[in-house]
Amino acid sequence: MKVLRWWWGLLLAFAALALVRIFLPLPFANEIVIFSIYAMACNFLLGRVGFISFGQPAYLAVGAYGAGFYLFYFGANPYVGILLGIVAGIIVSLAVGPLFVRLRSDYFALVNLALSVIVFYLMQKVLAGITHGDNGLWFLTSIASTPVLDLSRPDHFFIFAFLVAFAIWAFYKYVDDSIFGACCLATKVNEDKLTFLGYSNYSIRLAAFVIANTTAALAGAMYAVYLGFVSPEITSTAHAPEPVVVTILGGVGTLYGPIVGSLVYIGMKDLISRVVGNWELIIGFGLVFIMLAGEKGICGTLEPLFKKALSRAAAPGASAGVGGKTT
Amino acid sequence: MIAGENILTVAGLNVAYGESKVLFDVNMKVRPYEVVACVGRNGAGKTTLLKTIAGFVKPASGTVTSDSTSLVGMTAFRIAGAGIKYVPQDKKVFSDLTVRENLELGSYATNDYDWSQVINYFPKLKQLMDRKAAYLSGGERQMLMIGQSILGSPKLLLVDEPTEGLAPSIVAHLQDVFLELRKKTALVLVEQNLPVVCAISDRVYALSEGRIVTELVDRQSIRAEVCEQYL
Repeated sequence: MKVLRWWWGLLLAFAALALVRIFLPLPFANEIVIFSIYAMACNFLLGRVGFISFGQPAYLAVGAYGAGFYLFYFGANPYVGILLGIVAGIIVSLAVGPLFVRLRSDYFALVNLALSVIVFYLMQKVLAGITHGDNGLWFLTSIASTPVLDLSRPDHFFIFAFLVAFAIWAFYKYVDDSIFGACCLATKVNEDKLTFLGYSNYSIRLAAFVIANTTAALAGAMYAVYLGFVSPEITSTAHAPEPVVVTILGGVGTLYGPIVGSLVYIGMKDLISRVVGNWELIIGFGLVFIMLAGEKGICGTLEPLFKKALSRAAAPGASAGVGGKTT
Repeated sequence: MIAGENILTVAGLNVAYGESKVLFDVNMKVRPYEVVACVGRNGAGKTTLLKTIAGFVKPASGTVTSDSTSLVGMTAFRIAGAGIKYVPQDKKVFSDLTVRENLELGSYATNDYDWSQVINYFPKLKQLMDRKAAYLSGGERQMLMIGQSILGSPKLLLVDEPTEGLAPSIVAHLQDVFLELRKKTALVLVEQNLPVVCAISDRVYALSEGRIVTELVDRQSIRAEVCEQYL
């Protein structure tokens, strides 16, 4: 029964993503899927390890520029670009992680924000010679067509992004269920106790940090390939709280939270901005309301209700025997 | 290990939290398979002594050695990895995890997946395997904490106030477990429950205001009325 519930949740979450493709415009669908990957990384950091980071755009930008530099200067294969974005994410995470993960959660949030600002000015001013500053790098038309899934076509890109999002989701589900996932949760709850058992909190946090930020870099690389364009705007501090907001909106630490949160957040942004001029104001009030209404987020609030409904529906089925309802 | 060598030697240990000094020139030793108790009033420095041995508090001066290895300056998780396990007083377990997952964390750190000894000492844990640790009683939590710490056959257990706030039947059970455990490992207990101290200890250190005021090494002299004057 537990397995069934698990799979039902999975099917529902991804069915929602598939429906997005059918009912909503393709660019919108693509953005939601990429953003959900980005939010999954933040959800892992916040929900599992207890790290709140306002610097996720820095890692998003690292991935985007990793892919962007390759596609603009060196080659045209989008898969290689995404791979290089991931590699760039790993390198930067490993470079700053040993310093950052020693900090407590509040300082950790701010130091990452500072990194985000540093990356922004690096890309906008310091490295303007190769990044073209605010003009950014434009390579949409130079991305090569690839066999099977042609990433230069938005509809094929959606299938690719959907599969990647699924793989990343499954990966985090696996990590959550593993002993490493238990260690991450333990370091969040009681780091001293974990040390008594003989674990290094530092190593666990560093591993989690690299995993999460590499995922953010992957999302960045996918943005770059999808948009065919990278500019410093991607790491602007105005975007810094976005993944945290989406994570909290979806439900911190819930499995489907990042997907639902991305859907609702980007959906709100897109729909409201069509109707109202000052859409940020409306979204701001909307977020305040949602968080006050249920601080567990959408999934955190709905999941217990959903489970209750499921068990109620399953009860008559169970008494009817094995062939009863499985929902 | 050379026969007769101390499993733990503390010499001239001084510990301070900032400006306030907590331990003054503490000397103690623990031999293999020995049960050592530290008694004293609240604030005497007993917990600080255990935390310093376990690597959680850095001493201002003095040495802590185990099997001719200095523990001073070693990180706490390495000391735990070297088989010196600290069981804190707070009875905090990982409440979001089940009993099984809590034990798995102990196993993974020590690569010891044989839980038969744990189940043997604490049969009740077997029935509670799939229960979240948040829903355990104080006694059950203590069982789980000791169960976690004996995985990997540690050479020394540092147990801080294990019987505090527990029902008499559980205290009696823990006392039996400690008597069994001493066949395999050395124990240092910080304990206020004098009947337990007297029943299981081979050596007692009495602490007062950060100093060791008495060392009782003779089983005849380890009696409740003798220890009581230090509480």
